[in-house]
Amino acid sequence: MSLSAYISRDQRSGLVGSLLLSCLLIAVGLLVVYFGQRYQLRIVYAAYVNLLVVLGLQVFMGNANITNLSHSAFMGIGAYVAAICVTPVKIKAISLPQAPWGLNAFALDPWVSAFIAIAITALLAWLVGLIITRLSGIGATIVSLALLVIVHSIFLHRTDIFKGKQAFFGIPQVFDINSILIISVCAIFVARAFRESHWGIQLRASADDEVGARSMGVNVYRVRLIAWVLGSVFLAVAGISYAYFLGTISARPFYFTHVFLTVAMLILGGMRTVTGAVLGTLLISFGLEGVRYLETGPELLGIKLPELLGLSGIMLGVVIVVTMAFRSSGITGNTEIEQLFNRWRR
Amino acid sequence: MLELHNVRVYHGPIEAVHGLSVSVSEGQCVVLLGPNGAGKTSTLSAIAGVASSRGQITFNGHDLEGLSIEERQRLGIALAPEGRRIFSNLSVRENLLIGAATRTDRPGVASDIDYWFSTFPVLHERSDQAAGTLSGGEQQMLTIARALMSKPRILLLDEPSLGLAPLICKQIFALIDSLKAQGMTILLVEQNVRDALQLADYGYMLNSGNLMSEGDRETLSRQGASMSTLTGINHT
Repeated sequence: MSLSAYISRDQRSGLVGSLLLSCLLIAVGLLVVYFGQRYQLRIVYAAYVNLLVVLGLQVFMGNANITNLSHSAFMGIGAYVAAICVTPVKIKAISLPQAPWGLNAFALDPWVSAFIAIAITALLAWLVGLIITRLSGIGATIVSLALLVIVHSIFLHRTDIFKGKQAFFGIPQVFDINSILIISVCAIFVARAFRESHWGIQLRASADDEVGARSMGVNVYRVRLIAWVLGSVFLAVAGISYAYFLGTISARPFYFTHVFLTVAMLILGGMRTVTGAVLGTLLISFGLEGVRYLETGPELLGIKLPELLGLSGIMLGVVIVVTMAFRSSGITGNTEIEQLFNRWRR
Repeated sequence: MLELHNVRVYHGPIEAVHGLSVSVSEGQCVVLLGPNGAGKTSTLSAIAGVASSRGQITFNGHDLEGLSIEERQRLGIALAPEGRRIFSNLSVRENLLIGAATRTDRPGVASDIDYWFSTFPVLHERSDQAAGTLSGGEQQMLTIARALMSKPRILLLDEPSLGLAPLICKQIFALIDSLKAQGMTILLVEQNVRDALQLADYGYMLNSGNLMSEGDRETLSRQGASMSTLTGINHT
């Protein structure tokens, strides 16, 4: 039996697309490693962590066409679980003196900690997913929003475990720019492979016409649940990568601002494609750096610009409004990168 | 092969079909005729498991009560729904793959797709295009091919000629005829009485959820006058 019977044309096409996107990511990464300054390295690292989040969001929200707003909470769960597991006992004795269940009495290897963090995040996602996948449209979105608020409240008020608004410090710095490059390349391949898998196709069919997909024998709840849990794994990995690089986390970054930022990235790029997720993340990440520069009131071409505090927030809102108004399917629409190249060749 | 005994079909609290008995034997093409609101689509939906029903439906000796759509499809029941309902953002090829959602033999699925592409070269040419860009007739071909991707033993065809130009209609009916010639069992719903009766071995005439008459092609053709008053379609 030839291989082509098992790997469909679309899946092969997906491999080519993933490869092209990976080249783009690696090119940006190498550029900043060899020519960038330290702060630019941090910006690229942060962009790639957000890329993991946006890819995780694409897996569920993009394929199922159900808006999810809880993703930053799952990222937070991944980050905190890994942080609690990996931080040395000596540091936890200072930072978490009152931690229950002996949480401050052990410390694990970073890889074991990461594995536990992914497992716990996926398990929680599965439990919540049993409810969310049975809802459609606005119902699922509202539940996801409630989830974000619940998780954030727990992070804020269980200060004996999560330290709330204060910094959870002393996490060993395990990852560098190379680690996040490898992880994001893997993530692109996984997200694209899922999109072209038979689950991915069934999920996209249910996004087009839920009743129609059911009448074809598609188990809509099941494929949604698979995507939801797989997406949560991406989010957990994003949280872990964040914690393992910065060494310090707090509850604030895993809330509305971050939800809004990453949703804007996905909407701008186009949520139906993996290419859109990558494009949107890169454009907004680097675009925002430019906007932040303008915020400070710099001197451009001899003209002193006024200070424009809050411009980045306004710009994000404008990006969402303009995209929704003029191209609601985002920059890429339905087209993945290799399909675009094929069209040019013709 | 397929037996409906005193079947009542419900859309929420509303009873759309009031106790219908239908029988389809292997290799037969049976047609359900009647005007809008007669309960034809409801009957097909009940067989496929899309709508809820009471009464007995058996398929090859299996009682279908309590079986999910998926399980019914595994037994060999496929629905080509009314209004085509293709997945417009998915490519033509992906639409066909969805038809095979309940199958696990990937090489078989791949060769079946090749088979349909050789049967419908138009679909092959557009295999990577979004299915929403196809014309009405092409979409209907895709709908039928998609339903057959599940390797069914009976095909439930709901108004395949709806909204198509006469010439395209002819092509679709020729396609159904060739399926029948290949031995496919078909339960067809149509408002296009004359063309439907050409294909049918047996027919049921419904109105407002009740059975009006039944019989073979000749019997129903003889009742043509009453049918044209019911359906509003001139039968000459």
